[in-house]
Amino acid sequence: MSGLTIPEFLALASALLALSIFGVLTRRNFILLLIAIEIGMNAAILNFIYFAAFPLCAGHSALSGQAIAVVTIGFAATEVAVGLAIVLALNRLKGTTNVAESTELKL
Amino acid sequence: MSPEELAFLALAAIAFITGLSALLVRELVHTILWIGIFFVDLSAIYFLLSAPFLGVLQLGVYAGAVTILLLFGIMVTRKRIFSREAATGIGAVPTLLSVVAFVFLLIAVTSLSSTTPTFTTYDVSALSTYLFGAGGPWVLLLSLVMLAALAGAIYLVREGRE
Repeated sequence: MSGLTIPEFLALASALLALSIFGVLTRRNFILLLIAIEIGMNAAILNFIYFAAFPLCAGHSALSGQAIAVVTIGFAATEVAVGLAIVLALNRLKGTTNVAESTELKL
Repeated sequence: MSPEELAFLALAAIAFITGLSALLVRELVHTILWIGIFFVDLSAIYFLLSAPFLGVLQLGVYAGAVTILLLFGIMVTRKRIFSREAATGIGAVPTLLSVVAFVFLLIAVTSLSSTTPTFTTYDVSALSTYLFGAGGPWVLLLSLVMLAALAGAIYLVREGRE
């Protein structure tokens, strides 16, 4: 893997993050919101793995990038599990997974 | 342009297109199919960056478990699985906000130096040694969060909760 510069790679992560922001702002279904958040988390994981493969400073343990990526994948999987539990609870209470209809906390 | 760079550009294009398709298609089951392809594509990028363990983890956890979990979520919350989403419309403001965010990020990353740092590869055993050595607290934290999430998820979905 050679010739790939830092801005080229970070442009992909930026595009995925923008996609995630777009999804969170436009979609109303809870499952689609979860998917949009997952896209954003994957952009972050991608950066960790890139900077583990291309460490900028010598001396610092570059393996920590891959280790944090492993842990982040675990966190993301946990987040989806809890998110789907919330979807089920919401569906039982409201009969829908549309987040626009969950307004109980509104003043 | 090296073959690896070409492969990366192709995979990046596929990642963006599949991610966008996942958010734009009206049928939720098709969304899951697109997001499955997106996760597999990202795992290919991880393999390209010589992170085979993370590539396999991405395939197992994201393309396998998360995709199936989302599919189950759709299955138990809808009467007809292939029913379409109500059209919410794509507002101009959210689209503009995400485009502005992308442009700002792009300006920020292009101002970075365009040099290619030295490519480093690791042995998978070195990663596991690191994870259960110096990175031990991270693994411990993850296990505690997973335990709390497990308890929380069971509490949320149990029957008879008012």
